[in-house]
Amino acid sequence: MRKLVELKQELDKCVKCGACRSVCPTFRVLGRETACARGKLTLIDACMGGEIEMSEAYLKHLKECTLCGACRDTCPKGVDTVAVYNAARVDAVQKLGAPIAASIVFKNLLESGRIMDVALKIATRLQGLIFKDGTLESGLLSRFALPVIGKGRLLPPLAREFFLETSEARGLPVPAKTGQLKVAFYAGCGVNYLMPGVGKASIEVLRKAGADVFVPAGQVCCGMPAFASGDAAMARQMALKNIEVFEAFDCDYITTSCATCGHGLKHMFADVLSDSPELEKRIEAFSAKVIDINALLVNVLKYKSAGKETGGSVVTYHDPCHLNRAQGVRNEPRELLKSNKNITFKEMAFPCSCCGLGGGLSIVNYDLSIEITERKIKSIRASGADIVATACPGCIVQLRDGLHKYGVNARVAHVVELI
Amino acid sequence: MLSETVKRELKRIVGEANATFAKEDLLCYAYDATNSSYMPDAVVFPSGAEEISLILKMANSEGFPVIPRGAGTGFSGGSLPVEGGVVVSTERMRKIIEIDAENLTALVEPGVVTWELQTEVEKLGLFYPPDPTSLKFSTIGGNIAECAGGPRAVKYGVTRDYVLGLEVVLPTGEIITTGVATAKGVVGYDLTRLLVGSEGTLGIVTKARLRLLPKPETTKTLLALFPDIKDAAKAVSAIIKAKVVPSTLEFIDAACVKVVEEHAKMDFSGAGAVLLIEADGSAESVEKEAVTIEKICLENKASSVRAATGKYEVKDLWKARRAISPSLHKIRPDKINEDVVVPRASIPDLIAGIEEISKRHNLLIACFGHAGDGNIHVNVMYDKKNAVEAASAEDAVVEVFRLTLRLHGTISGEHGIGTTKSRFIEMELGPAAIDAMKRIKTTLDPKGILNPGKIFPNAKGLERAEFAVAGKHTQ
Repeated sequence: MRKLVELKQELDKCVKCGACRSVCPTFRVLGRETACARGKLTLIDACMGGEIEMSEAYLKHLKECTLCGACRDTCPKGVDTVAVYNAARVDAVQKLGAPIAASIVFKNLLESGRIMDVALKIATRLQGLIFKDGTLESGLLSRFALPVIGKGRLLPPLAREFFLETSEARGLPVPAKTGQLKVAFYAGCGVNYLMPGVGKASIEVLRKAGADVFVPAGQVCCGMPAFASGDAAMARQMALKNIEVFEAFDCDYITTSCATCGHGLKHMFADVLSDSPELEKRIEAFSAKVIDINALLVNVLKYKSAGKETGGSVVTYHDPCHLNRAQGVRNEPRELLKSNKNITFKEMAFPCSCCGLGGGLSIVNYDLSIEITERKIKSIRASGADIVATACPGCIVQLRDGLHKYGVNARVAHVVELI
Repeated sequence: MLSETVKRELKRIVGEANATFAKEDLLCYAYDATNSSYMPDAVVFPSGAEEISLILKMANSEGFPVIPRGAGTGFSGGSLPVEGGVVVSTERMRKIIEIDAENLTALVEPGVVTWELQTEVEKLGLFYPPDPTSLKFSTIGGNIAECAGGPRAVKYGVTRDYVLGLEVVLPTGEIITTGVATAKGVVGYDLTRLLVGSEGTLGIVTKARLRLLPKPETTKTLLALFPDIKDAAKAVSAIIKAKVVPSTLEFIDAACVKVVEEHAKMDFSGAGAVLLIEADGSAESVEKEAVTIEKICLENKASSVRAATGKYEVKDLWKARRAISPSLHKIRPDKINEDVVVPRASIPDLIAGIEEISKRHNLLIACFGHAGDGNIHVNVMYDKKNAVEAASAEDAVVEVFRLTLRLHGTISGEHGIGTTKSRFIEMELGPAAIDAMKRIKTTLDPKGILNPGKIFPNAKGLERAEFAVAGKHTQ
């Protein structure tokens, strides 16, 4: 990936016009110049030039960001703000050591393999002690203030059976040569540990759409949380491992129902592995196959819902930043929802504004993160929808938490569960 | 530098969390959209007039500059702390206090973003017309300080025309209210008008009573392409002469067309000039005006005239139009951005004159703007690293000003003077007028603590400001 010093020209491009102030979700809440891109770029530039130290305040401002990319989209000068922020985070980690967003629990979530799974299994059984039942739906309120999980925060329970261990995932044979499209499914941590139902629904809808789908064993976390927290080395290891797992199979597409993982697989892998030119062809071949499940269903498989019962009437859609801005997938999820005759689709105001979870913000500054969510919840309430559809497990967690916190009675579901 | 006592006192006035002396914060309140930078000594975020009054009283007794700041998006350096001091940010004062639909007024705090006020009043079928290009991020307070205008000025006027009254903290700390909450009012001097456009040198606005209009029933957007820029300029005059008053009449020259085509991926078929015209009002009158406008454009050799279809295309057109100014850097690294105004009928003469200046200096001068009210944004493009080019760019600007004044125009329509144009105001104002203005300033701000170094040539601090123009200034 490009180092911070190599991005100096991006910093120099900023003419301080202030347009970023109009879209930044963090600025909207904090109301201080240091929160918006113009301020952050100024600080990063000053830190690079030695004008300020890598101080607590500097790191605080660096972390007050969901990496949603709205500033990059709106910047008339086309400053690649997100690349600068990521590079600045990596730079800080390299100079200071620990990942800026990391805690023990967070770090463990990133490490793959049996030990982590076993640890989480035990946690699943113990969670009755740790969590108490929430009031709205299947989430649970944390009873105690855990290191990273603030008190009163609604989190989904860890799945009793992780998706990658379910018969639905493991029972799928690797397709032999058939006329059908061969699709490898990448689950990601959200689907695997928290929402196996989304994984199962994804498999089901892909099969209905005529794809020959399978779930490669041995896949690990995509590394996006590590990358966002500045730990490029860990993200690199994960990228490499996943590429090895997937290139062992001959498939037409690699798809995922997680917007963040999709962005990671499609873009971040190439970024963190760019220091190894010998990998270039392999990464290219891998990234070229990655496609978000909504885009795959609509653009390739031409899928239309047969009219699944949703248990609700009005459905609205929240655009995950990593799908809308990072991958350019906007219309496909809407088309899928509208294809279900049992759904009345209603657009909310500001569907593309960030839910507040991203960039590790919900971990390093939960209060700010959930305050960002408030605007989204207001939009949802005003839309009158009783189901909020989205296409990212991260957004699902945040939206459920926000709906609960701000007392709005709506259900959150992944698009694949509604078609 | 501020003494420890002053710092302690500032914290006491606004609260610990709302006063900062940290370098990280100061750096982010040192700049504005001129892209120049001057470090303040402190930034405070007061909650209202009382706190600002205490700060200003202390500034007088202790002798430090106070610089009011909205969003820091001005083009003339109005919010730059050129002599250091305490930046008073209105970022915490962002409440819309009241929208009075019965009397068509709104009472707002200065930190309200213009677009947010517009969105709120439009929900009630009302309309706040002033629309500076920065409306999505600039604030009402800043708009008032600079008397911001925008495309709609051709029909609806500028910020000045919508300010009924103000709550203001004077430089010496007294809190006064000016103007009225009524449609008329003639009691005493019109301090409201004096304060609007005074660039934060005569007082800090803490509340504004704004005039609203009923929202026009409908709007139609037309796009006219012209092979020759001179014909576009003639069409502008012809439209005005035909007694049609469009709600916007924007002009985009070939250089700007190119930028828009590249930046916003919009196809204008490489036109020599584009007019973006809107008519608003009742459906019937809008249709009628649109027909007249189309006819006039075609008579003036437009190659095509068409209506924007669907609100997304209208949105795209405006997004593209708003992106011109910051995108111009793609042509040349630096620009001097002026916003001259001439009587509307003189637009063709202005355009022809600028073309001549551009050729003579061998510099690209990109023009766009609110042709409907005679206000053209003149951007002299150059590379500041090239000393010869930089010098002729400065010369070209002076010549554009001379041309403007010869055509009975003014050197700034809506950006203000600030630090970037103070050298030039003597070209337009006579010494007696400048002296009268200075006496007003001295009467209200005897110690010169409020936003020093702005507007007047040779004002304290101007040497540094001039350095900004010649050296660091890259806008």
